[in-house]
Amino acid sequence: MSASPVGFVKEYWRILLLVSFIAFALVALFIPGGIMADDSLAGDLEEDEENQTVDEGMSNIEYGIGLDGGTRVSAPPTGMMIDTIDLEPEQHSELESSLYTELDLETADATVRYHESDDRYTAEVFTDDVNAADFAAVVAEYDSEVSEGDVENGVTQETRDQMMRTIELRVNEAGLSGGQVYQEATVEGSYYIVTEVPGMSPEELRELLADRGDVQVVAYYPDEDGNQTNQTVLHGEDDFSRIGVASYNDEHGYNYVPVNVDNTEDADGNSAATEYQAAMNEYGFTSEGVQQCGIQDLVAGEFNFDHDQPQWCLLTVVDGEVVDAHSMGDNLGNSMASGEWANDPTFDMITPTQQDAHQLAVNLESGALTAPLDFDRQQTFSVEPALADQFKIYSLLIGILSVLTVSGMVFLRYRNPRVAAPMVLTAMSEVLILLGFAALIRMPLDLSHVAGFIAVVGTGVDDLVIIADEVMDDGEVSSQRVFESRFRKAFWVIGAAAATTIIAMSPLAVMSLGDLRGFAIITILGVLIGVLVTRPAYGNILQRLLTDK
Amino acid sequence: MGYFDVPDISYTRYTNRQLAAVPLAVLAVALLILSGSFLVTGTPVPLGMDFAGGAELTVQTTSSQAEIEEAFSVEPDSVQGIQAPGVENQYTVQFAGIEDQDAIQELSSQAETELTQDGDNEIVQQESTASPSFAAQTQQTALLGLGVAFAGMSVLAFLLFRTFVPSIAIVASAFSDLMIPLAFMSIADIPLSLGTVAALLMLIGYSVDSDILLNTHILRRGGDFYESTHRATRTGVTMTVTSMAAMLVMGIAASLFGVELLASIGIILFVGLAADLMNTYLLNLSLLRWYKFHGVRS
Repeated sequence: MSASPVGFVKEYWRILLLVSFIAFALVALFIPGGIMADDSLAGDLEEDEENQTVDEGMSNIEYGIGLDGGTRVSAPPTGMMIDTIDLEPEQHSELESSLYTELDLETADATVRYHESDDRYTAEVFTDDVNAADFAAVVAEYDSEVSEGDVENGVTQETRDQMMRTIELRVNEAGLSGGQVYQEATVEGSYYIVTEVPGMSPEELRELLADRGDVQVVAYYPDEDGNQTNQTVLHGEDDFSRIGVASYNDEHGYNYVPVNVDNTEDADGNSAATEYQAAMNEYGFTSEGVQQCGIQDLVAGEFNFDHDQPQWCLLTVVDGEVVDAHSMGDNLGNSMASGEWANDPTFDMITPTQQDAHQLAVNLESGALTAPLDFDRQQTFSVEPALADQFKIYSLLIGILSVLTVSGMVFLRYRNPRVAAPMVLTAMSEVLILLGFAALIRMPLDLSHVAGFIAVVGTGVDDLVIIADEVMDDGEVSSQRVFESRFRKAFWVIGAAAATTIIAMSPLAVMSLGDLRGFAIITILGVLIGVLVTRPAYGNILQRLLTDK
Repeated sequence: MGYFDVPDISYTRYTNRQLAAVPLAVLAVALLILSGSFLVTGTPVPLGMDFAGGAELTVQTTSSQAEIEEAFSVEPDSVQGIQAPGVENQYTVQFAGIEDQDAIQELSSQAETELTQDGDNEIVQQESTASPSFAAQTQQTALLGLGVAFAGMSVLAFLLFRTFVPSIAIVASAFSDLMIPLAFMSIADIPLSLGTVAALLMLIGYSVDSDILLNTHILRRGGDFYESTHRATRTGVTMTVTSMAAMLVMGIAASLFGVELLASIGIILFVGLAADLMNTYLLNLSLLRWYKFHGVRS
């Protein structure tokens, strides 16, 4: 046996590799901030929220909602679409308005998109109340090749992206950190939007997701003939440039959300603010209509649209429902009449209660959900933090019990601690390395991952038994050459076994089967680390222990 | 002495037909059970809420088990007390196959109104619901996943050994390894859940291990057939029995603690690995022996 450092490395490189992996894992697990202190690896994982949770435990491991408490709701978007419509650019908005008028849709329930990257148009309808044939018929007026068969269930990727952004904003607005929104594809090619929020109950989360959140300000006023009419004057998202926080006015005693109307001028010198101002002046809100709105019964929280006197009301409408009705105030009316308001276009959106104000602010800030979620096809999973803590202890307990059983069996079989002890230690170092890896990439651990860890210990010990039996075959390991040859034989078997395990697990790792993805990913990673690093090192350890009597 | 030794089976005493008869008979019984259950209930194995739609609640309450059974508008399929150290008054309540989405949603609020609160603890500690259409989707995905995994494994077996009989031996015994635990689930009324699907997939991986070991020893190494078999059996049985022990402990502990995912993985893998012992060392072995002594020449 060579004593030179090169010879040492040559002979024991497998063990050295294992030691460095373990050291790496320990650093990733226990040094605060881990190896990637600058977050560069976790860049796309909403850095701010993630950072807050890092310092909580004694290790850098992060837990998913199954082990930390929280709620996950999966639901698909409601709607259908027609892809690749042949359209002239000027027909874009024409088709959109035809959809609204001919299908009798509510606001925000249809959209036509132009996809620049591959030069095509898509039309989408976000309601279940329209049938595919009618939808296709409207589109066919513009592109005669479209038929009912072209209508697909689901919405475009752009719509889903917008929905995920909106939901993310809402979760953040609710003041909860660590929330995640992502989409999952099904076998059929449809998509579910999945929202995970730690520390939220299923009711709270469903409420947050169920509201479309489409905010409009509607002018309710008598037209020239004296009939009361509705006219949308401001529409959320597009027309507001800044949303303040929900506040309370002490002096006059009302809840409100301060807003800025967008006054960026377009090519014609018009802006949302100037148009709103002009509408208010035209409809009489700033003259005879000032302070003329008495339809809201604040005590009962009801609105009375059956009245004798003409009314000039500004209605706040959320998802088609009137939330509040207010008159034009003196000051605001004057500044609009003089045309000065548009230079500093702010006003207070008043709401009946504090909660309404908060809800309104959230809806205005996050914008409307482009398509509503279909809760008839949903799945919910929720765990209370207390139970999640129990699960953490159980997982640890079950893990320890399994490892003890495996160790016991191995000791009983080999009766030689020199063979069995390193076997158990090697199997456990695999789990340690995996945990370090999970901490490094900030993979939130759930029960399914725990199952994966146990499976890794299982396959790990299997492989170690194969190596031990093969290496100890026919008596002593007399030379390095004999060891290498026997090790290669064993490696062929464990390599083939590892390949089948990876193949068996890979469908789960890519398919959306809820909890099982974590299980599959951990198992595959564990098998890879095992076959490439830890299990060969065990052969080396065994060789050393058996020859060095 | 309590030591664990691998028994030496004297294979020479039995013909290939005799050896293969046992596992084939067990497989036939398993298939009979699955098809019988399919004819009677419409599914070969009972479907859990993951695949049939429904709900699973973990509640903490001082109400009795009988009261819990009465508390819901839909009668639960099972109410199970959780027996873990330091935990009292926790139950897992399962509902599978509810068609009405609204009824599923209401279960958790019914629990909150009908059951008695235990101190300051929330009544509904865990809630998992799936609408029927979501579940149908999951079912389809799981079937496809199992199919792809099995096909992938089969292709790999053929690539590794490149001869028909040894490869088909691996595929046949893996197939039987899946059918026997499924039949067991059907008899023991264990519903198919995401956890059991994971266990079945894991079983594909595990079961192939010992088959590959046996095939390699017999086909790729020189020496006497029975000597190779003996060595492969010694290693293979150690592996499988060790895994079985670990899975049994995990299955029992997890079902006492009410951790459904781990419990079903443990129990199904235990049964599947037991089936694998039989299939590998009776079915696979008899096929290999026939191949080695008769098949190679033809």
